[in-house]
Amino acid sequence: MDFLRQVFGAGEFMPHGYCYMWNPGLVWLHVVSDSLIALSYFTIPFTLLWFVRKRRDLPFSWMFVLFGAFIVACGATHVMEVWNLWHAQYWLAGGLKALTAIASLGTAILLARLVPQALERPNISQWARANAALESEIHERRELEIDLRISESRCREQAELLDLTHDAVIVRNLRNEITYWNHGAEELYGWRAEEIMGKVTHELFQTVFPKAPAEIERETLESGSWEGELTHGRRDGSVVTVSSRWVLHKDEQGSPNGILESNREITAKQAAEETERKSDEENRQREIRFRLFIAAVKDYSIVSLDPDGFVTTWNAGAQRLKGYSAEEIIGQHMSRFYPEADIASGKAESGLRQAASAGHMEDQDWRVRKDGSQFWAEVAITAVHDSAGKLIGFVKIAKDITSRRDSEEQIRKLNVELTQRVEELGSANRELESFSYSVSHDLRAPLRHMDGFARILKQEHSSKMAPEAIVYVDRILEAATHMGQLIDDLLNLARIGRQELKREKKQMAGLVKQVMAELPAEAQERSIEWRIEPLPEMNCDPGLVKLVFANLLANAVKFTRLQPVAVIEVGSRITGGQLTIFVRDNGVGFDPRYADKLFGVFQRLHRQEDFEGTGIGLVTVQRIIRRHGGEIWVESQVDAGTTFFFTLGPLSQSSGEPRTKEVESA
Amino acid sequence: MLETETVEILLVEDTPADAELALHALKKSKVANHILHVRDGAEALDFMFCRGAYCLRSEENRPVLVLLDLKLPKVDGLQVLKQIKSDPRTMAIPVIMMTSSKEESDVAAGYQLGVNSYIQKPVNYGEFQEAVRQLGMYWLLVNTKPPEAAFQTR
Repeated sequence: MDFLRQVFGAGEFMPHGYCYMWNPGLVWLHVVSDSLIALSYFTIPFTLLWFVRKRRDLPFSWMFVLFGAFIVACGATHVMEVWNLWHAQYWLAGGLKALTAIASLGTAILLARLVPQALERPNISQWARANAALESEIHERRELEIDLRISESRCREQAELLDLTHDAVIVRNLRNEITYWNHGAEELYGWRAEEIMGKVTHELFQTVFPKAPAEIERETLESGSWEGELTHGRRDGSVVTVSSRWVLHKDEQGSPNGILESNREITAKQAAEETERKSDEENRQREIRFRLFIAAVKDYSIVSLDPDGFVTTWNAGAQRLKGYSAEEIIGQHMSRFYPEADIASGKAESGLRQAASAGHMEDQDWRVRKDGSQFWAEVAITAVHDSAGKLIGFVKIAKDITSRRDSEEQIRKLNVELTQRVEELGSANRELESFSYSVSHDLRAPLRHMDGFARILKQEHSSKMAPEAIVYVDRILEAATHMGQLIDDLLNLARIGRQELKREKKQMAGLVKQVMAELPAEAQERSIEWRIEPLPEMNCDPGLVKLVFANLLANAVKFTRLQPVAVIEVGSRITGGQLTIFVRDNGVGFDPRYADKLFGVFQRLHRQEDFEGTGIGLVTVQRIIRRHGGEIWVESQVDAGTTFFFTLGPLSQSSGEPRTKEVESA
Repeated sequence: MLETETVEILLVEDTPADAELALHALKKSKVANHILHVRDGAEALDFMFCRGAYCLRSEENRPVLVLLDLKLPKVDGLQVLKQIKSDPRTMAIPVIMMTSSKEESDVAAGYQLGVNSYIQKPVNYGEFQEAVRQLGMYWLLVNTKPPEAAFQTR
């Protein structure tokens, strides 16, 4: 308190007026001057404060605050001077001065330190230059701004234009995020632009691609565009098929920065139209190809005519057939190809009328070439109508069939001849049949009578006859028997030629067994060693094949008559895809030089008194075998036996399964 | 011709030599005493149906056996057979075809018309004699003759 009292109190000091001896002039000079200085000082900080506040951009603004504080402090010392004229508070005044000193000192030091920094600041001229630069920049910017505004408005305009199209136009960046979405897209998909900006298109649409999306993207990047059909999901969940066209967008440097995708819905109708357009195009292509094909056909003359019969097209075949080139003949009337008589009678026109009314006409007649020669043509004319049913012309197809006509003529002639021959053959056959019938009846009757009466003579009257007479009667009987055998054999032979082959699967072994049982008594009485190998089943006429075995076995029996032990073998072999059956004996055999005579009618290699026979048996055998499609041949040597071989046609046709082995002897 | 005696065998044969041989064989076989030989089909039918020359013959007085040749003048053997076998008055009488034909068609036609036996005349007369003896034995002695009821019209 004492300190405070001491500071704020006057103590024992005298007021400062005393120093001025209270000279009123001097006192008031000080009072007024100090007061004015203080007042001025006090106003300066306000001005500075105002300035600083107004110029916030000023550097070193704290310096102004410091100045303000220092000036206020200075002002306060001057107020203190006035106060102390009457109140001698020198401690307080000294304290104030000390504070002012500190503020002044600080300001001075700071100011000194500030000078180098302040010196670095641009000076006025620099400012002026900077200002000028600034101004020109401002000017440029303003121009740019105008440009930008123009381009913005242009962009807006373009965007608005894009909004006018019904196509959905979508721009997406390379990450497929949508950056633009036009009105058409809103309409098509149902999303508004602001909803889907930045979304990935394919995820949004759940796109169904016609091929791998990566491939499509590569194609777009490489070629700059892609076109195809996509299936997109709409906002409402429905699905839409679009014809999509992608175009790659590049920035100024030429590196791709986005893709513009424009999609158009393909409705069923449009799809149909598209298909129709394609098929129209295909049809057109096909038609062109068809025309080319027709033009190239060489074997047929194919010509189109207008409704009046004038040539409109002419193919290579027509040129070849008739000799005219297309240039010569197009526009000429078709009647030019007809012989004069036909031209006069209007045959061409009547043909066209017929084709027009019936839709089609065919004809075979003579036609005339360019060189005047004629050919026999086969012609077909077909009327052609447009979709409304109006006759638009004719197609005339012609071929030169002169050689065919000749061949047909030939065939007709041959056919007539053949028919005649068949008739002749038929009547010959009928004659033969009636001949064999009458042989069977009428030729046998006298034989019977001869035999009958001769036998009665021998039986009932031999007692009255000379011995030679009885021998003659025996000769008559023998002759009659032989004649009877001849007739029977010949009738058999004739029957084999006539009768139909009745094939069936038959066991050859069974057939041979049957034949053996029916052999003449001689076979049973003699000592014969039979060697019958297992025989297959064969597809044949059993009755006829039985006759074959009957003849061959009877022969074998007959010609082994002189052997002490007769050996007769029957067996089969498969050679060259054919089943061969053989009948072998160890009989007298024959000279192989005469083998070819063996199968001739009435041909015999032995004398009747040695070995009886008619010479018809082997002919019959051969005929039966040939009728089966088979062959017979023989191997023999005098006194070394004989082997007959025969086949019954190809194995597949003639044979069945081979059977188990059965060996028989009798 | 008036026929009062019973005819046992009717022989229908146009060829005289054949007829002679047949009669000779039949006689030698001693199976029948009364054999009537007619020379064509018409006569055979007249006899069978008591017509013409045989109009006075009694229908009840039937032959035991008919030996019929195939080839006959006027009416052929098959026609005769057909008429005999289609008439109730005669159909039960055994008919044997005796012919030189062995043609399958003839044999088949004979059986189709109801022939009771078919014999081809062999060229060998010895065989023929044996055949005639056997058939005479069989049909006249072994076989039971058709009773009267077999001829009644139903």
